[in-house]
Amino acid sequence: MKFVDEFRDPELGRVLAGEILGEVDPSRHYKLMEVCGGHTHSIYKYGIDDLLPENVELVHGPGCPVCVMPMGRIDDGIAIAAENPEVILTCFGDMMRIPGSTQSFLEAKADGADIRMVYSPLDALRIARSNPERTVVFFAIGFETTAPSTALTLKRAKAEGVPNFLCVCNHVTIVPPLRALLDSPDLRLDGFIGPGHVSTVVGVRPFEFIPAEYGKPLVTAGFEPLDVLQTIRMILAQLRKGEAKLENQYKRVVPYEGNPAALKVMQEVFELRPHFEWRGLGFISQSALKLSEAYADFDAELKYTVPGVRVADPKACQCGEVLKGVIKPWECKVFGTACTPEHAIGTCMVSPEGACAAYYNFGRYAREKEAVVS
Amino acid sequence: MSFTPQPQGDHAGHAGACGVGEEGCITCGDVALPLQVRRVDEERMLALCQNESGQTETVEIALVGEVAPGDELLVHAGTAIAHLGTKVGV
Repeated sequence: MKFVDEFRDPELGRVLAGEILGEVDPSRHYKLMEVCGGHTHSIYKYGIDDLLPENVELVHGPGCPVCVMPMGRIDDGIAIAAENPEVILTCFGDMMRIPGSTQSFLEAKADGADIRMVYSPLDALRIARSNPERTVVFFAIGFETTAPSTALTLKRAKAEGVPNFLCVCNHVTIVPPLRALLDSPDLRLDGFIGPGHVSTVVGVRPFEFIPAEYGKPLVTAGFEPLDVLQTIRMILAQLRKGEAKLENQYKRVVPYEGNPAALKVMQEVFELRPHFEWRGLGFISQSALKLSEAYADFDAELKYTVPGVRVADPKACQCGEVLKGVIKPWECKVFGTACTPEHAIGTCMVSPEGACAAYYNFGRYAREKEAVVS
Repeated sequence: MSFTPQPQGDHAGHAGACGVGEEGCITCGDVALPLQVRRVDEERMLALCQNESGQTETVEIALVGEVAPGDELLVHAGTAIAHLGTKVGV
């Protein structure tokens, strides 16, 4: 398959692993963060970490859209669906299982709330057109990769005059949490594997501040195994030469300036929230989007009363430290015992792109545990 | 050319997968898939696209400029976010 097979060649993978070995200083420890959950998933699915020298450590970042969703927002969505019988709440698949303070969407659905899974915002709009007597609320999540899709759907709803389509906007932006992490005293990173699909929309330019202000390399990466290995080699080569540059390994998809049409439609439909709560990272200024004045008629948060309460994470859950890369998933007290993909306590165990689920599903738990025991 | 958009409320046989199972939801995972354009409805800015297995979905094409049958698009959440070029021989 074009754009896939040529990036999974095992022989080329071994060549790249050899080149990576040539870039590292054996006396130094390297800590690289993959920002995007999609990269975390690829790294464990393809065993990329097994090909790296022991002194190159990959740290998992906050780029899994469902993992960063605070419990209070789930409670708000459930309140809209459960307290308003005319509402059909729609959301993407993984959101169904994210725990709120008492229930997930899936559990609220089992209790009678009309909550339906959709693949795209366009599906939610289609449900609204087919059910004119009901109000369809789309619970939007995701980074800049997904926000244009919501924006286009809202434009379509406005143009077609679909009055029974509303949106709870939880879209977040990638740069503010990266700044928060770089300013955090908890974490010392050497470089970043930059997000691939977010950059398809926003481009590479928004990440210029990382080398310029913090002196760390960032290389935008594709998601196939050879993409990730080549990116790691590029970051390590910069570090060996004492450089900190912005590079783009994923040029076949990501233009430096991103997708101008997508940025334009986002600007038209959304505006920045003054602040937004991120699970594990707390409140971050201007890190999320809400509907603009022009789209206020579609804003479910203006139409429905929601609890809007900040809910603390369960005490046993250490998703916050995992999301900041401070601890490895298996170091969490409830990992693999009380918290599993079937019965997740924390968000990182829900989405396959969450670091805990990636570790759990691809057998890293057993291997790491064995290493500790022996 | 016009076509009837594919019903997508039920995801069986859908080119994009969004489930609550082990493989999880590709939309939540920020995954984008390369899909090939079969038909284009320029008036509504929609294209019928298919994956390698022949599963189809309706895709918003407003963000990727001119699109023609045979083109490959990078699709996320039902929206093409990048144009990947034209597949030879289609």
